[in-house]
Amino acid sequence: MFSPIRFLLNRREIEATEPPGMLVLDFLRRREMLMGTKEGCKEGDCGACAALVGELSGGEVRYTPVTSCLLPLGELAGKHLVTVEGLNMQRLSPVQDAIVSEGAAQCGFCTPGIVVSLTARLMEKGAALSAEDVKYALSGHLCRCTGYASLKRAGELVIRDAAQLGSSGSPSENIALMIAGGMLPEYFREIPERLRKIQFPSSANGRQKPEVFIAGGTDLYVQRGETLPDMRVEVLNLHPEMKGVFEEKGEIHAGALTTFEEFAAHPLVQQAIPEIRSYMHRNASWQIRNRATLGGNIVNASPIGDMTILLLVLDTSLTLKNGQKSRKLPLAGFYKGYKQLAKKPAEIVTEIVFPKPSRSARVNFEKVSKRKCLDIASVNSAIQITAGERVIQKVNLSLGGVAPIPLFLRRTCEFLAEKEITPETIVQAAAIAQQEISPISDVRGSAEYKRLLTRQLLFAHFAKLYPGYVIVRELLESGLIT
Amino acid sequence: MAKWKPLERMDFLGKAYPRVEGPDKVSGRAKYTQDQAPAGMLYGAILTSPHAAAKIIRIDDSKVRQLSGVKAALTDVHPTGTVRYAGEEVAAVAATTPEILADALELFEVQYETLPFAVDIETAMKEGAPRVFADKANISDARVEEEGDLEAGFAKADVVVESEFRTQVQVHTPLEAHGSLAMWNGEELTIWDSTQAVHGVREGVANALEMPINKVRVICQHMGGGFGSKLQPGRYSAIAARLAKQAGAPVKLMLDRKTEFLGVGNRPNSIQKLKLGAGRDGRVTAFSAITYGTAGIGTNAGVRLPIVYDIPNYRHEHYDVFTNAGAARPFRAPGCPQAVFSMDQIMDEMAEKLGMDPLEFRLKNDANPARQQEWRIGAEKIGWAKRNPKPGSDPGPLKRGMGMAASIWWPGGRGTQAMITVYPDGMVEVRCGTQDLGTGTRTYVASVAAEELGLEMAQVRALIGDSDYPKSGASGGSTTAPSVAPAIKNTAEKTREALAEIAAKHFGVSPAQMEWQKSTITVKNSPAKKLGWKELCSLLDTEPLEVRGEWVEGLSSAGVAGCQFVEVAVDTLTGRIAVEKVVAVADCGLVLNRLTTESQINGGVIQGISYALFEDRLMDPHTGTMVNSDLENYKISGSIETPEIEVIIYDEWERGVIGVGEPPTIPTAGAIANAVYNATGVRLREIPMTPDRVLLALAKKS
Repeated sequence: MFSPIRFLLNRREIEATEPPGMLVLDFLRRREMLMGTKEGCKEGDCGACAALVGELSGGEVRYTPVTSCLLPLGELAGKHLVTVEGLNMQRLSPVQDAIVSEGAAQCGFCTPGIVVSLTARLMEKGAALSAEDVKYALSGHLCRCTGYASLKRAGELVIRDAAQLGSSGSPSENIALMIAGGMLPEYFREIPERLRKIQFPSSANGRQKPEVFIAGGTDLYVQRGETLPDMRVEVLNLHPEMKGVFEEKGEIHAGALTTFEEFAAHPLVQQAIPEIRSYMHRNASWQIRNRATLGGNIVNASPIGDMTILLLVLDTSLTLKNGQKSRKLPLAGFYKGYKQLAKKPAEIVTEIVFPKPSRSARVNFEKVSKRKCLDIASVNSAIQITAGERVIQKVNLSLGGVAPIPLFLRRTCEFLAEKEITPETIVQAAAIAQQEISPISDVRGSAEYKRLLTRQLLFAHFAKLYPGYVIVRELLESGLIT
Repeated sequence: MAKWKPLERMDFLGKAYPRVEGPDKVSGRAKYTQDQAPAGMLYGAILTSPHAAAKIIRIDDSKVRQLSGVKAALTDVHPTGTVRYAGEEVAAVAATTPEILADALELFEVQYETLPFAVDIETAMKEGAPRVFADKANISDARVEEEGDLEAGFAKADVVVESEFRTQVQVHTPLEAHGSLAMWNGEELTIWDSTQAVHGVREGVANALEMPINKVRVICQHMGGGFGSKLQPGRYSAIAARLAKQAGAPVKLMLDRKTEFLGVGNRPNSIQKLKLGAGRDGRVTAFSAITYGTAGIGTNAGVRLPIVYDIPNYRHEHYDVFTNAGAARPFRAPGCPQAVFSMDQIMDEMAEKLGMDPLEFRLKNDANPARQQEWRIGAEKIGWAKRNPKPGSDPGPLKRGMGMAASIWWPGGRGTQAMITVYPDGMVEVRCGTQDLGTGTRTYVASVAAEELGLEMAQVRALIGDSDYPKSGASGGSTTAPSVAPAIKNTAEKTREALAEIAAKHFGVSPAQMEWQKSTITVKNSPAKKLGWKELCSLLDTEPLEVRGEWVEGLSSAGVAGCQFVEVAVDTLTGRIAVEKVVAVADCGLVLNRLTTESQINGGVIQGISYALFEDRLMDPHTGTMVNSDLENYKISGSIETPEIEVIIYDEWERGVIGVGEPPTIPTAGAIANAVYNATGVRLREIPMTPDRVLLALAKKS
């Protein structure tokens, strides 16, 4: 019924005839009986199911950790899937050894996933592995028993061992050094060659029309994970033309399948949004960022989608394609109502385009959630301000979680244009913004609280971007805000 | 009475060493219940009630049974036919794949007669509220504890403080869900269970299925966390066994995350009305409390008040309130984090009114000599003297503050049996029917035996997690280490005695003349008459030596004191609290393994932070079910929120072994609340202290 999916699983070549929409986690545990990959939450939150996906690109294989509970099997065509069993050697690897000797495994249920992610970071950074990298790797993992102090200590030991690799280079150079140093099994050496030999069809469905498109799947599998294995799914990531970031005529283009991680790592994006990496760190774990796509976040249409809220203030437009037909649409006009899009079902968002912010523009993103990181926001907000000496030329302001759609605050923006940046201006703007929103009370906070946050976040934006003009301390003392 | 040898002569105990099953855990080889997959295994699932209260009128499973791949179905799993919370068991099914199982669950036709319900404590307490149990009022009779003369105590007080506090329902949230694999071999039943009590599950299943106990075996080699929720046998174990019997094949039944949230335990909430009186001299004279808590359809929602402090006159009146929600189960220090959250805050409120330093006020009212030292140690480590002297006085939007709270715990050890087998090649096995929740039990079973026998740990194999082994109790209430370690030591001592007899016989002397030095045995005053461990064991010829022993007094203690100090930063623009540092001073007795002990304390603190800031079971009063029954919406603390935790072990090895699991989770929320007050001048009397509560409280203050 399904075209076979060919890929490497640890040391072996696999030909899977299971549905392409099947979860890799289920495939590992049920067909392959690889039980080191655990099922914790099946929502990408706990990381117990983390596995590595290696992809051939430009002659080398690049490995990224992902949560296999949100990964469709069809995605693996022509790739190398590595589970904790695939990292085992005669003796413990430095990562495994460090976790044992620091007592960083307690019940141990979360441990194999953590081994996978720490090893992935080591492959990425080689001798340059740092404490920041350890945090980076741990970001997608929950431990309910001992927590993270001993894991951070274990990370220190891995950093020490990594230093012995001597140098850090490209991931494939790091991998070669790790193999030579006994930190990674020998078979990794042969993987690029073996992957080159695997042929795979571009669509796992053959000629049948797909019922559902999957980009990163990080929202889709949480929302309807049970139905997807039975459906004809089209794994969009098999279309590399929808990936990547480039600049053309003063505009930044990003393929809709560009992952959060790829987007934030791109120099063009970092130039346009200098703090992009810190925002990303708040929004999703490394493991999820390796899967979540820009297009997916936009089409999912959550009123609180972090990436959508950010893109809204960048004057972003979308390219939509239906077969050969293509059209462009501003992102701010894409949302018609709660989860209602100005898009035909057969249309696919293929590209996101935004002008490079001018030199006098400043961008900021704020988010408040119950847990600081990796939580759905109560309210999030982005702003782009273009200003001369004290006087605003143009403002773009967006807010999430305060309306049925990711909201662009037109009236507030109009009010702020050509105003001087003063505390009083912002107090007035906040009052307008509070009228422009229509929050409801829900799990993430009361309507009253969301109104209050709207004002506070506006202050936070200006305080961060124009610290010389808007000093929160003075605001507090003046009694203008609390 | 038995005694431990002096700490300085110990090879392992009191030191840090890695856990014995570490390599299995880091390589993915450690098999949990979730990972069991015998040939021909079926997947089982339970159909649960979508209604908070309903009579089951009829269950029709005919369509379920017609579905290809379904091998067994049960429609009589509910004992009374009236469900009292959303998530309660209604029917069960086993099928060849999880996909078929999911379809099968949809095919049950259940006719319910829905009943009115009350899922939150306020609704349930109202006059005329729907009754959770037809024959019982929602509010229980008062349970009163009192001492001294309350009126006289308050009459003596110069200052009286009254405050109301609230805590939320917290769900255990182990990463491995509850569940069982049931396998029959004729009339014998083997169950793999993710449990804190292999012997308890064995008894529970034998009772539920009316089977002789010797036909049931329960195994749990590794389990993915329990925190109290896996102390008791669950209905799912017997259901899995019945499905397996009907299908004639093994059945694995793991709960899904939603059922895990709804039906297998939680920490009760609390509403606490407190009143504290003290004299100008800083001595507390009287304390009264009226508290309410809901354990859902269960009982024991108590708040352990008064707690910690030395209070001459008190009265505490408590009411359990039934609600249509899953029953509570013991959760790490039942009743204590709630109590300390309110007690240590009202102590701070009083200190402020008296114009006293909170530390000084505590020292005056805390009779525990260990904690007297611990308060001072903790204060020194956090830099208490440098704290913000006036609450909320930090300029700017980010405000810092410090707070403290106390810890306490009672239980000690109890009956546990063990067996040691010495093989002729010198290798040793220790069998004990306890289980390792990850706390390090397996490791100290090996290390205590190695310590007493003078061996290396590699020579000792610890066999636990099987009801075929000598009986030990449930692993809970910080009782495991003080129960198991003495039993292992006693068994090892007896093993030495038995070996001494063999050696004595060999040399033709009396056993009293034998003398041990580590694992070598010598005839007193005849140094030439000596046997090394291997030679000695070789005397066993072909018969291994089996020795049984048990828990004895003198090697463990009850009663724990401790305290924590925290430093927080509150962002007054967003209302977000960041815990920046925790100093946890923990009272530990003889430390069996410094590495696993510190791990436990770290974990307790992190759960305390999570309780204080994030976790909250939210019930929808309209649908009657939990709205955040997944890890996307029920947030627990992650690595990024975890601050620097400095663990200070206040060990008095002479006291013997003391459990350390519960105490570190008790003070954290109270200490954070006190620190938030010190930072902002706003007192938060309800947890979790989420950004919305903080921001709204700050707005109200101004």
